[in-house]
Amino acid sequence: MAPITQASDETNHQALLDKLDLFGIPKPFRNPNWKPPQRRNKNVKQIISDASRKEASLQVTGTNNSGSSTPLVPTTDGALTPAVAGASSNGSSGLNMAHATQRLDRLVLERNQQAASLAVPGAAALPQSMTVTYTNIESAPSMHPSSQRRYCDVTGLSAPYTDPKTRLRYHNMEIFALIRQMGQSSTEQYLAARGAHTVLK
Amino acid sequence: MPAAVPTPMAIDSTVNSGRNSPKPAPSKIWTLNEPPFEGVKPIDTQGWAKSTEKTAIVIDFGSSTVRAGWSFDKRPRITLPPLMASYRDRRINRSFTFVGSDVFSDGTARGQSKNIYEPGSNIVNNWSVAEGVLDYVFVKLGIAGESGTIERPLVMTEPVANLGYARKTMSEILFECYGAPSVAYGIDSLFSYRYNGGRTGLVVSSSYTSTHVIPVVNSKALLSQSARLNWGRYQSAEYLLKLLKLKYPSFPGKISDPQAEDLVRDHCYISQDYENEISSYLDWTGLEDRDRIIQHPFTEQVIIQKTEEELARAAEKRKESGRRLQEQAAKMRLEKLIRKEEELAYYKQLQQKVQEATTKKETKRLLDGDEFSNEEKLDKKIKEMEKSIKKARNKDVGEEPEEAEVPVFPLLEVPDAELDEDGIKQKRQQRLQKSGYDARQRAKAEKAAEKARLEEEQRLDDEHRENHPDQWIEERQASRNLLLQRIKERDRLKADLGNRKSLANQMRMKNIANLASDTPTKKRRRGGDDDNFGADDNDWGIYRTIQKDDVSDDEEEEDLDAALKEVESQLLKFDPNFTEENTRDAETDWTKSLMHAFLRGPWPFDPESQREANQLHLNVERIRVPEVVFQPAIAGVDQAGIVEIASGILNERLADHASRADLLKDVFLTGGNTTFQGFEERLARELQAVLEAGSPLRVRRAQDASLDAWRGAARWAGEAGNTKYFVSRAEFLEKGAEYIKEHELGNGM
Repeated sequence: MAPITQASDETNHQALLDKLDLFGIPKPFRNPNWKPPQRRNKNVKQIISDASRKEASLQVTGTNNSGSSTPLVPTTDGALTPAVAGASSNGSSGLNMAHATQRLDRLVLERNQQAASLAVPGAAALPQSMTVTYTNIESAPSMHPSSQRRYCDVTGLSAPYTDPKTRLRYHNMEIFALIRQMGQSSTEQYLAARGAHTVLK
Repeated sequence: MPAAVPTPMAIDSTVNSGRNSPKPAPSKIWTLNEPPFEGVKPIDTQGWAKSTEKTAIVIDFGSSTVRAGWSFDKRPRITLPPLMASYRDRRINRSFTFVGSDVFSDGTARGQSKNIYEPGSNIVNNWSVAEGVLDYVFVKLGIAGESGTIERPLVMTEPVANLGYARKTMSEILFECYGAPSVAYGIDSLFSYRYNGGRTGLVVSSSYTSTHVIPVVNSKALLSQSARLNWGRYQSAEYLLKLLKLKYPSFPGKISDPQAEDLVRDHCYISQDYENEISSYLDWTGLEDRDRIIQHPFTEQVIIQKTEEELARAAEKRKESGRRLQEQAAKMRLEKLIRKEEELAYYKQLQQKVQEATTKKETKRLLDGDEFSNEEKLDKKIKEMEKSIKKARNKDVGEEPEEAEVPVFPLLEVPDAELDEDGIKQKRQQRLQKSGYDARQRAKAEKAAEKARLEEEQRLDDEHRENHPDQWIEERQASRNLLLQRIKERDRLKADLGNRKSLANQMRMKNIANLASDTPTKKRRRGGDDDNFGADDNDWGIYRTIQKDDVSDDEEEEDLDAALKEVESQLLKFDPNFTEENTRDAETDWTKSLMHAFLRGPWPFDPESQREANQLHLNVERIRVPEVVFQPAIAGVDQAGIVEIASGILNERLADHASRADLLKDVFLTGGNTTFQGFEERLARELQAVLEAGSPLRVRRAQDASLDAWRGAARWAGEAGNTKYFVSRAEFLEKGAEYIKEHELGNGM
């Protein structure tokens, strides 16, 4: 109950709050009988672990489209064949190694699908879209040598040296002197900013 | 500002020392933004009146901003951050609910506010807040809700590959709580791409919590070929805060998250050549343009400034009172002197009387009357008084007391046997006086000898220098290096003692334990119980070494620094190769310090000033923070950067794709995190480098990187042909909460 902006002061703050408050405003569009389910707030980790369990069961049954969505009918008016089908029909096998290497489970899934499509001749014509999940579109770790570039943990400048004691990277002698004066906790914080800190589990 | 203006003296000294000259005062100092409270927003019923049962409500349910409006609108009617504060004030027994920027109007509300989304992700985490935000949207859109429902179809945006649970819960709320007749979901960046007229291209969408790269062919997104990088403006702001916390560990103020986001948006830019730019970022030349000062609010300690007149008056007053004191003292001295003179006159009279007295009895009577045992005592008293009067007179006149004649000690030569008791006493006294006098003489002689020795030394040194100048310089250099070494060692020891685990400290603890124990464990060289402690004077040094904050340290410190100054001044005078630049002062000058440039820019820092202590300097951070999208490893994100992702999609996954050339011709940037200056150019340049030579590449930016997603969604919602992609309430009831209909701009299963 304290004003923190120029919009109000002690005298008119309560009046402003009364105007802003949404609690007492009628909301006739809401279903008065609506009872939210218990414990519906889940964090991403929980949701993903639930989803991956479900995904695994889908894989066993081998069905990609379980009827929880209506697939978009591919447009055939243009000169182009549906994109995904095109991608899978060219090349030697339709198995795209490049993206299969991104995730092992995807590779396995794709192999399974390929085997299925070879067994059933008509299946190859279907749009063979991969199941896209929240986790498998996450981009893979970098393979490019540029990700090995080193920058000073303190100043962000290029870092030709690494202190073997603290594992901090540093730019020059002056920064090194500073690093050696730092305590353990700030060293760890610097490492944490680069994601290289020690995590005890 | 006065602190940054270099004094004329500072400029002079820079000319010959090679130090960097301080820059003129900073031309602009930025401030932190106020809490982003936007004022009371009115309820907008005009849209509701214009709408029909077919008109959709369009909500861009973003993680930085929720935008809502009608499908016929050109811009969203409502814009708010996805925040809600809902709490009960126990003092007045009343519940409050504040949504959106309203939470920034009040201290308690801001403290209680919660976000819809899990921090740093695009997945809804707090569904009560989500409901609160939807309530706010529908209230402000003026939904009448006579039938107990919102009565209008809804178009919502959702993240790429939204998690089933998130969509299910959202559908449940929309259909069951708000009674929506039908709902459609689509991907925000694809809406934006469509709004900007794209059909085939590579959509690079960097938004608040994540960055997506999505190839679109013939208006249909190839979601299976898309990729997400977990980095957006939220992470950038968080990273900046982390860096600033490390940069200024004892910063007195606090920077809030919205303020950090504003700092990222206002001051950061994408470097075109990161490697080169960062390596020269803290160079002295032009640092004043690269360095940005952010002033945190502060309260300056009030120093009452006195006017010239007041100062003069105070000085006059002081002088006046001093003079009065002096006068008083002089008066008192004079009175004392007069009294003494009177006394002296009396005693002289007495002396005369005694001398005139004829009988011994008379003499004794006279002397006893003034408590003198014999005549000598009286003489002595008179002599003393004369001396003190002379001294007092001298003091008033300011005369130097004349050189005392060499005192004589006649009794010392006389053997004890020839003296009576009184004589022996006097002899003892004389002996004491003589030893004191001798000591003074000795000290005087010693002083003179020392002076002579120094002069001799100086003479020899001068001679040596004149005869062997090179050797002399060499020696001086060596002694200077020795001093520097000792200073360094002292500093290191000091630092080491602060660290409990350092070798120096461990040795100290060992020594303490050893001294305290009854049976010292120290091995003796030659046996025997006597450890000879104290035989060598250095043994006592142990007590000095175990003392932590040594008082004598300061003396030594002064000594070393003074000695170094002395040696350096000699070198400056006689060594032609040793210039002002080489002195330790110049070498440790702040203008040469990289850390100073990093922390305080090219300006001097006054630790006393509250104003400067509350300043943040953004320099390297300005390009270091947004660079993470290109090099996630900088911030410890174990993912490929957007160029590597895009090249992976273009050169590997879609290498043989028929539309690859078309994709290259339209690389499309959208999302708030792409609005950094230089983003387009950098991406184009780096992409060109990973493509084969001569590939036709075109990178373009959305007209409005933040708003176009909503506009695209509104346009899509308004097109009659798209009604078939809405999930109706009946379908929801029949097919379940996770059911959606695939369309070109939405997620598939």
